[in-house]
Amino acid sequence: MKFAVALLLLAAVIPANAQNQWVLTDSTLTWHISHPMHEVAGTSHSAKGKGICNGGQCNFLIAVPLNTFSSGDSNRDLHTLQVVRGAEFPMVVVRAQIPESGINGSTISANLEVQFAGQTAHYSNVPFHRVAKGNEVEITGTIPATCSDFKIDRPSFLTIPIKNEIPVTVDTTWKPM
Amino acid sequence: MRPAIAALSLPDAPLPADAPREAAQSQSGNQEQSPSPQQGQKQKPAQGAPSSDSSLSLGDLGFTPAQTQSNAKLQARLNKRTHMLKVHQTLGLITLAPMAATVFVASGAKQKYSHIPGVPLKQPSTEGVDLHAALGSLTAVMYGATAYFAIAAPKIAGTKPKGAIRLHRDLVWIHGPGMILTPILGGMALNQENQGQKVHGIAKAHGAVAGVTLAAYAAAIVSVSWPIHWKFWEHE
Repeated sequence: MKFAVALLLLAAVIPANAQNQWVLTDSTLTWHISHPMHEVAGTSHSAKGKGICNGGQCNFLIAVPLNTFSSGDSNRDLHTLQVVRGAEFPMVVVRAQIPESGINGSTISANLEVQFAGQTAHYSNVPFHRVAKGNEVEITGTIPATCSDFKIDRPSFLTIPIKNEIPVTVDTTWKPM
Repeated sequence: MRPAIAALSLPDAPLPADAPREAAQSQSGNQEQSPSPQQGQKQKPAQGAPSSDSSLSLGDLGFTPAQTQSNAKLQARLNKRTHMLKVHQTLGLITLAPMAATVFVASGAKQKYSHIPGVPLKQPSTEGVDLHAALGSLTAVMYGATAYFAIAAPKIAGTKPKGAIRLHRDLVWIHGPGMILTPILGGMALNQENQGQKVHGIAKAHGAVAGVTLAAYAAAIVSVSWPIHWKFWEHE
């Protein structure tokens, strides 16, 4: 009898927990830089992430190794790695907080903490779009990062530096654990 | 730490080397990323910003220590590489000027001859030859210095050349031998001129080799700048 009750309780608890935890299954993160002579983007598909919703709050952790970003030019990628101190601080770590009440809307507003290049920057109320795809959820948006947020010396070409803005577009797919 | 997060148990994963530091940071509220506490500055969190005291850590995500560990030696190599390649780039652009000038003044160092039988060769002026030779020598020295900074720049293990840099490197097989051949052929041509002979044999290729060398060199510069989008009017 006790065993049956325990089993019932377990059956009731497991799905509830499962819905509150998320795992990143697929991701495309792309940084964009702009220069009068160049528009360049670097993409990584190697992010890993998890999320937990509880107590009215959802916390997500997403991280990606910097050396997995590719712009299609190995020389530029190595230079990028140098400029962002990517060997010293090899990961970009993003922590996102989202109110649990807003997690199912088509637009999600997230507060982000981004650790990158040895610095931490915060971005409040960053809008993301949410699209449910069967069991999975696709979240897309743009992190409005800048070089100055992370004390990155802007690389220059022909003495002209790149723009301060280095927006990072995010396309992630999550599924419940 | 939020009770909800603290209660969560996540699958075991390799603990990155800097995870303990990260945990210590989170507890102390330090906003800097390890491992160099002296670097950077604290940034005051914006209102409503998430705190770092989540129990989710890089270890929970399954990254290997090799991926998350700081590598000061590699950073030093990258810094040195970038510095040397910047010097390579600057010298390379400057070298283009004497190289183009050498070709430009080449006509002043060339003997003129008529196709009309019996009309003697017109030898170039000494000044013309000297100017051409001096600019050529300057080009060779600067080219050598430019090449040194590319060759001596630290190589990063595990990096496969990809993209425009491949063409940039491949063009070395044209302008490199060209930079060796051109002065040799120029010397031969000058020698023949000084002997009052019409430039003949392989020395006749001096101008063509120099032209191909200049073209390949210019292409190497353009290749690492390609594709070019002229958007100066949009730049702040």
